[in-house]
Amino acid sequence: MPRYHPRLLGGLLLTAALVVSGGVSFAAAPEDALMPLEKYTTPKGKSLASVHRTRLLQFSEQIYNCLPWLSVHPGGLGFPRARDSQDDDRYLSTWIFVDQRDDPVFAALPQERRVSAMFSRYGVDMLRRMAGLPDVVDDDDVAGLSVVLSWLKPGTTRPGRKAVNETFALFVDKTTLREFLAKRVSPEEFTNRAKFTLFDGLDPVGRVPIEVWEDSFNSTYKASNYDPPKGARCP
Amino acid sequence: MRAWLSLASFLGGIVMLTSACATSEEWSEWKSHNTHFASGDHGFFSLRNNRDGSNPRVSRSDVDAARQENWWGKAITVSPEQIFQN
Repeated sequence: MPRYHPRLLGGLLLTAALVVSGGVSFAAAPEDALMPLEKYTTPKGKSLASVHRTRLLQFSEQIYNCLPWLSVHPGGLGFPRARDSQDDDRYLSTWIFVDQRDDPVFAALPQERRVSAMFSRYGVDMLRRMAGLPDVVDDDDVAGLSVVLSWLKPGTTRPGRKAVNETFALFVDKTTLREFLAKRVSPEEFTNRAKFTLFDGLDPVGRVPIEVWEDSFNSTYKASNYDPPKGARCP
Repeated sequence: MRAWLSLASFLGGIVMLTSACATSEEWSEWKSHNTHFASGDHGFFSLRNNRDGSNPRVSRSDVDAARQENWWGKAITVSPEQIFQN
């Protein structure tokens, strides 16, 4: 068997890995979307991730196969805690990238309205989909649900500029979400109770005033020329 | 002095009303686009759209390949540690 210098061997392995993986990507295949078990730092987190792994994988496959205009952040599907949490409150959470291009109408909106638009269109639907996993959500160790949305900040893809994502992160308790989805809690009350924050690239913007309204796009849109992978069931 | 304050308030009000109207128009236009993407096309949507107007089929692997080639994954994005604890 030929013998290789360790550095050469390392380089070859890295090259092979990049060729196989196609390079670094934000788009995660269904299994890569799940937060790795070893990253959880408490027994409660590890237990949730372990018990509900199959269900989360199915959920991830559903997004990957049926909502190709979205992508889950690698490791973005799981049971993290909010950054400022003092307790071990675990949230069923999905971090979604919205694949879109610059558009003058969207770009003309003030930042808080872009957030409102994105959350109304994609955030609410993702929360509804997560709430539709009763075996997961009804777990007593799940304190609430969280959705994180990232999209390209308008105007940042121009030549000479570095593209920037705006990212909106929201956490809400289970009762409030259930009541909101059942229309027993108004959108205003929902936003009052939820904890959320916005980031402009890496910079925290903080809580911005948002408006939430009904938007059925993400739950009804069908791409006419898209073929889901064989065997995928997209209702 | 009071006259100047009144004039400034009046002019300020006009500016606010004008900008509010413009924003409302843009807002209603965006909200009415229920059948469109949030900001025009999605990257995957225009994949393989030919110049002759034909619209060939797009697979999930086409979507992944296209995202490797454009801004996807290259934009500056907040790190998970700024949002979560594991």
